[in-house]
Amino acid sequence: MTALSGDTRPPVERVTRPPDAGKSDGTAPSVGIPKVGTSDGELVRRVLAGDTGAYAALVARYRDRLGRYAVHMLGDRQDAEEALQDAFVRAHRSLARCDDPERFGAWLYGILVNRCRTTGGRAARRARLFVRDDAALSGVPLPSPAERAEWDDTVRWALGQLAPEYREAFLLKHVEDLEYEEMAQLTGAGISALKMRVKRAREQLQIIFREAERV
Amino acid sequence: MFEDRPDLVDRIVTHLRRPVQIDPALDGRVMQEIAQVDTGRRPGAAVAAWRWLIRPRQFVVSPLGALTAAAGLAAVVWALSGRGVPAVPPAEDAPREFQFVVVAPRAARVALVGDFNDWDATRTPMRPSQRGGPVWTAVLHLSPGRYRYAFLVDGSRWLADPAAPHARDDEFGAPSSVVTVGGS
Repeated sequence: MTALSGDTRPPVERVTRPPDAGKSDGTAPSVGIPKVGTSDGELVRRVLAGDTGAYAALVARYRDRLGRYAVHMLGDRQDAEEALQDAFVRAHRSLARCDDPERFGAWLYGILVNRCRTTGGRAARRARLFVRDDAALSGVPLPSPAERAEWDDTVRWALGQLAPEYREAFLLKHVEDLEYEEMAQLTGAGISALKMRVKRAREQLQIIFREAERV
Repeated sequence: MFEDRPDLVDRIVTHLRRPVQIDPALDGRVMQEIAQVDTGRRPGAAVAAWRWLIRPRQFVVSPLGALTAAAGLAAVVWALSGRGVPAVPPAEDAPREFQFVVVAPRAARVALVGDFNDWDATRTPMRPSQRGGPVWTAVLHLSPGRYRYAFLVDGSRWLADPAAPHARDDEFGAPSSVVTVGGS
């Protein structure tokens, strides 16, 4: 349960590999959050004591990492930044309710997960982006080869085909590298349900890519 | 029959784990929204009570009433003499502490300049909240009044405060902001 813990390292130490990145397979590139100096707990305490500037340091610290999750989850950078900004503002407003300031990152993550659900729901209603069941999934029209020319586009498109709860579980488990216990805390879902969602997400992604290869 | 291809999933995961660069200006937008929320936040009970106490009021007092009040006040002063001075709230014109904050991730130095320091860039250097950090702060004690100010980044770039109203009457052409201190 260390993946989302705040940084307690000594000052001026730059983390080149985040505590959550690629702990098992060694294939993940370093996705470093520059954590220089003050721990999350100390910054949270300073904010609560009235030093608003300390909060900006927390925002800068978590911006890119949480942004990555939001971008992949929502499939739209503008929606992602909106959800991220909303999460940061809400977290500041409720900072006194952060029980363990050293684990500010985990607490903030939970807020972002919820904001992404809300924003994703709005986006789905707006653009009908997400497909929610297997039957519908099999009938999804594939994008043209030109549209799929870039791997990046293909991955983003494939993620968008997953049901939100599958996409959420897949990203938290495989990309953010969380333990199931942490995922359960963040999402409110049971561990067995989360394992099932991750498994289904993996299967559906493979089906989607195989279908795409045939076209 | 479903054929598992973990290599494909690994490839997708590797791709998704690449860093995603979020607009650094988001920091400023967050801090601006927080500042606006703080400004618009309803005061707590203690603050509301204090404001109620210091609100100006008019009283109509008869000469006899005024004499009685004066006598009562004199009695209180006499009773308290020699026992030390009770704590009194800060005077309306007492300087108040203000913290200025700006997010400037790539700045090597930032100065706070304004009416309060004659726009002298050497008088109020701002300090990063952590070494190499993007947030610069400065704390000043300001007497009641209206002040125009700006941030001077690396000695050449002027920034208005995104969290404060912009000055409309700036005669120098550079962006500046306004802070109003006290009851004006």
